[in-house]
Amino acid sequence: MNFTANMGDLLLITPMIALFIASLIPITIKVLKGNVEQKPIATLAQALLGIVAAAGFLIVFGGSGKTAFNDVLIFDGITQWMGLIALSAAAGSMILMYENPSTRGVQFSELVFLSLSSILGMMILISALDLLMIFIGLELMSLSLYLMIGMSHEQRLAKESAFKYFVLGSFASAIFLYGISFVFGSSGQTNILKLLEVTMNLIQSNQMFLFGMILIVVGFCFKVSIAPFHAWTPDVYQGAPTPHTAFMATAVKVVSFAAFLRIIATRPLIASDNLFEVLQWLAVITMIVGNTAAILQNNVKRMLAYSSIAHSGYLLIGVITAGISDNGTIGASSVIFYLFAYSLMTIGSFALVSMMEKTEDHSLEVGDLAGFAKKRPILALSFAVFMFSLAGLPPSLGFFSKFYLFNAAIGEGLIWLAIWGVLNSVISVYYYLRPVVMMYMHEGESDVASANHFATAITIVVTAILTLLLGVVSGPLLTLVESSLI
Amino acid sequence: MILSTLIFLPVLFAIVIALWPQKSTIRPIALGFSIAHFIFGLTLFREFDPNIADLQLVEKYMWMERFGIQYFLGIDGISFWLIQLTVFLAPLILLASWKSIDKNIRGFHICFFILQTAMLGTFLAFDAILFYVFWELSLIPMYFMIGIWGGARRIYATLKFFIFTMAGSLLMLVAIIYMMFLTQQAFGTMSSSLLDFYKLSIPFIGHEFFSMQTLLFFAFALAFAVKVPLFPLHTWLPDAHVEAPTPGSVVLAGVMLKMGTYCYLRWVLPLFPEATEYWAWIFIMLGVIGIIYGALVAMVQPDIKKLVAYSSVSHMGYIIVGIFVFNHLSLQGSLYQMLNHGISTGALFILIGMLYERTHSREIKHYGGLASALPIYTIFFFIVTFSSIAVPLTNGFVGEFLILLGTYKAIPMAAIFSVTGVVLGAAYMLWMCKRVFFGEKGPLVADAHHPLVDLNAREIVILVPFVIMIFIMGLFPNVFLKWSEASVDYLIKNKANYELTIKGAK
Repeated sequence: MNFTANMGDLLLITPMIALFIASLIPITIKVLKGNVEQKPIATLAQALLGIVAAAGFLIVFGGSGKTAFNDVLIFDGITQWMGLIALSAAAGSMILMYENPSTRGVQFSELVFLSLSSILGMMILISALDLLMIFIGLELMSLSLYLMIGMSHEQRLAKESAFKYFVLGSFASAIFLYGISFVFGSSGQTNILKLLEVTMNLIQSNQMFLFGMILIVVGFCFKVSIAPFHAWTPDVYQGAPTPHTAFMATAVKVVSFAAFLRIIATRPLIASDNLFEVLQWLAVITMIVGNTAAILQNNVKRMLAYSSIAHSGYLLIGVITAGISDNGTIGASSVIFYLFAYSLMTIGSFALVSMMEKTEDHSLEVGDLAGFAKKRPILALSFAVFMFSLAGLPPSLGFFSKFYLFNAAIGEGLIWLAIWGVLNSVISVYYYLRPVVMMYMHEGESDVASANHFATAITIVVTAILTLLLGVVSGPLLTLVESSLI
Repeated sequence: MILSTLIFLPVLFAIVIALWPQKSTIRPIALGFSIAHFIFGLTLFREFDPNIADLQLVEKYMWMERFGIQYFLGIDGISFWLIQLTVFLAPLILLASWKSIDKNIRGFHICFFILQTAMLGTFLAFDAILFYVFWELSLIPMYFMIGIWGGARRIYATLKFFIFTMAGSLLMLVAIIYMMFLTQQAFGTMSSSLLDFYKLSIPFIGHEFFSMQTLLFFAFALAFAVKVPLFPLHTWLPDAHVEAPTPGSVVLAGVMLKMGTYCYLRWVLPLFPEATEYWAWIFIMLGVIGIIYGALVAMVQPDIKKLVAYSSVSHMGYIIVGIFVFNHLSLQGSLYQMLNHGISTGALFILIGMLYERTHSREIKHYGGLASALPIYTIFFFIVTFSSIAVPLTNGFVGEFLILLGTYKAIPMAAIFSVTGVVLGAAYMLWMCKRVFFGEKGPLVADAHHPLVDLNAREIVILVPFVIMIFIMGLFPNVFLKWSEASVDYLIKNKANYELTIKGAK
């Protein structure tokens, strides 16, 4: 294979280059200063600058639908939008890292380096158009993340969580890679575009190809925590430091779904009846498992982890819809919009959890929120907005994202999936209201842990305002996403 | 812009109250706002033309082009009086809350005004999605109202209220989206405007449950049945009423329950005429069961407020029967009964609240001989009771009479069973009055250390408008009925394919 790279290709990957350079700045400074940590605010500023630059390059050069390096990377609407959502979610999580007790202070430059490497992996993942490239992106993202969780100051749970995540994550990667080998063996291709041309034939006739595809799907189901492959999620989300949980629940999930969408949401693949059936049932089971298990949780982070599983189920409906639609891109754009709304609400919720952690070993229970509304009315109101929005109540962003998703599903005739979706929303109301009940309807003395959580507080308020108001004006936004996907 | 102003003025009030510097003046300011809102609502009498059935004062703007969702408001004879009821009750409710709400006054008023917006929006929205947004939005302030200012079991009650209502309405969302696709098939472009929905002809196959119109019909009807509440979905109501603070109970009984019955008239009947006709017997039967069951259960309640709550189940049963019998008399009666119930039950809850503020008990057995201790209170209570049990000359009589007359013309059996509700209603209310107001003085009334004080000026000011309305509506029903006449007539005459035209539009 002759390899040629031209200037255009390099321009396309400028977001990645920006992230890579930004990731090196803090640790280089630390080394030059003789292993002395610079001010964390400076580190944060450098990181955010890198992210903003990456986002800027993505807006300017991405989204054209061009491919780079012999069709290994693609920069289309999905790349652009998912990339922007992931970058802003990551930026939000990094603000939390800056102030959370278990991540701030010493080794902050190393943490920022790892985070930015992880984000670099994400950018590769969302633009990858080749199964091996997807694997590289996935691994770069995940390996950095294992280290991030493992190096936190929190002693017991985080180490356990890092190890569990590492073992199960590697397991999922192995399954994924194994699947790729079968697909390559049976079709001779790893490039998704070329693969799609032969899928229609192979999926019906070639068992080996189908087997490989199923393994790839299973690998992704692990990553985006689709039941029954979700078991790692609650433990890891609870054990990891809260900013990292926010990072995993938003940015990582967004990009994993982007890649999932690229592979699975294709008509030839979904056309396989069995796979179509199985995916629908996976979506239903995931929603039910996530929502019912969340009811039983007392730990806020664990509850949000199960809620994040449930939202994966809703998103899978959108992915299936995107797969079976002949024309139009309402399925894919509703998934993108849902991920955007979900990331916004989730970052905000975890930001509040992070604010209320007194020490690195403290984990927030629902009961700890008692009386919070009296002490901090604005923060409590913001948290209530997130909860109502996650439950999908109008006029919040959460309602409109669910509306778009179910609208797309019903439009493709998946009415029964939409009905499962709304029934699950009813179940979810119960546990989303529990923190609200605690904050507003119980007496108590709960308060934020310390005063120096300024940036986190700003993050909460900004995300809450966006969650509350953006829904009403979201129509043009959705149209914009939709038109960029064509 | 009148309707938008009417809907969104309360939001403005809520914002002003949220930012108002002094805590002590919030109450009078909020009261002033609500009176201003009421007076503004009176301008509708001038702007609204009762002689035509068209949709009036229409405001229509594209909201989300992609799905054909519009910001679409309008008013006709069916919603006219409910709007007036909503703005009429507001100042009275706020004045009644002066003593019963003693913590977080600012929060209470914000909740109240947002609730006003949601309720008015539900009555005036003519776009399915806009309607759904307002419909669900009304849950949130009510949820806080019961949960924060309610009684001992408030959290159980508020969660039950919230989950019941939401469970009912989410299937409606699926049905709405489905109908949006039906408009796309029929007219080429997607639309969620109610007027476009009216134009659809949805295939109906009788005796087959899994047919399109029947399923859509039940998806909508279920949502509204929970709200009304129709037996056997009523169980959230007694809990919510008993635990809610007085203002919450009044809004709930006075306006929120009417959202359910109003939506039957606005959404279910015109949209699914065949299915409504075919399945009406279920609703008439459940309505009649609700009338009798509610009355019987009310009879044995030891708690006055719970008694009135069950009486609501009974009264709402009449309205449902009247709607599904579907002739001119019964529909007019149902609309009238919606207003009556709002006024009489609202007044009853306020009266019970006043008693509770004095004694902190609602147990009937703790009272007795209250008539001699609180004479003015007793007079008001009896007038309202008469209205509630439909004594002639009061408003309740007109509504129930019209419904029963209409029902008798169509389905005599249903009317005969419903009439037992009138008798039972008189029985439980009067029996309760006997035990509370007459006989030997109960422990709370006879307590010499805490002598009971009769109504003060503020409380009389609250009750007088109710009493005036009870008699005006009882003596001059035509004054009120003529405003809804044209619309009801039009609905009956065009029931097979109902379409609404916008006033002034060709």
